[in-house]
Amino acid sequence: MAEFMFERELERMFAEAPAFPDAQLFAVQVEERLARGWTFRRFLIGGLGAVGGVIGGAQLLGSGVLSRAGELTAASQHYAAAQVAQLLPTNLTPSGFPLGEALWMSAALALVAVGLALTRAIREI
Amino acid sequence: MSDQPVAAAHDLELVALAAAGGRAAFGELVRRHGSAVRALLRRMGADSSLADDVAQDAFLAAFEQIADFRGEGTFQAWVKRIAARLYVRRWRREARQALAAVAAEAEADDTHAEAGAANRIDLDEALKALTPAERVCVTLCYGGGMSHGEAAAALNTPLGTVKSHVKRGLDKLRQRLAPGRDFGAVESTVHG
Repeated sequence: MAEFMFERELERMFAEAPAFPDAQLFAVQVEERLARGWTFRRFLIGGLGAVGGVIGGAQLLGSGVLSRAGELTAASQHYAAAQVAQLLPTNLTPSGFPLGEALWMSAALALVAVGLALTRAIREI
Repeated sequence: MSDQPVAAAHDLELVALAAAGGRAAFGELVRRHGSAVRALLRRMGADSSLADDVAQDAFLAAFEQIADFRGEGTFQAWVKRIAARLYVRRWRREARQALAAVAAEAEADDTHAEAGAANRIDLDEALKALTPAERVCVTLCYGGGMSHGEAAAALNTPLGTVKSHVKRGLDKLRQRLAPGRDFGAVESTVHG
């Protein structure tokens, strides 16, 4: 019983933390390290994304995908325009705005949306 | 969230906010429990600089793993265990080189402490009379809330060795913290 009492007393003494005069400074240091970690992570992800983008872009250009896509777009433009013109009322068709460019812009906007979604997902992680 | 609600919030609310990425909420947790974690590490034998480093590492690790905190115990106890494990990892690395020298120092302190045993001295002073291994084992079990088995696993040491260290450490602490009182030789209440 006495041993038990001593051990409870010991646990109580261990639970009593002395007040450190620099407790506030310690907390600030932890917060700063936390912020540094996040900044580093953001730069790392951004840097890796940029490097990946450059490599991917170079690969894309090197493989001639763009010129091939351009050819395909030109070839299908008239067909697509004809099909869309049948579906849309004439007053909604943008005048002087080629359909091929509209398709490319839509694709670009979709890519931007995917990029934003990825950025959001990474921030959540 | 403004400072006032964070300061008034319960630990579990702060943990939930921190789990959602709230660094201000986590900062409040550090303010509340930083001293307890630092004190634990110093009592394990870390000098003030090392204790602060390990405590900071422990809080950063806690922030990374905060989704794992289920609220089964207190947040402070959870961070203390993280900190104790981090310190033990370092201690085990450095123990081979430092143990002999520190043990010799402890012997000298032991002689000095025996002479003044009639006076009641505080826990931090009393812990200095223990060997590094005894000090780590006793602090893990009574300050870090670990069982003997958990301490043995953290230290990668046989359970019997940990129990021996704890028993010897307790005997020394009893002599210094409660001189003249007969506590008898009863088994420890911290179980395997």
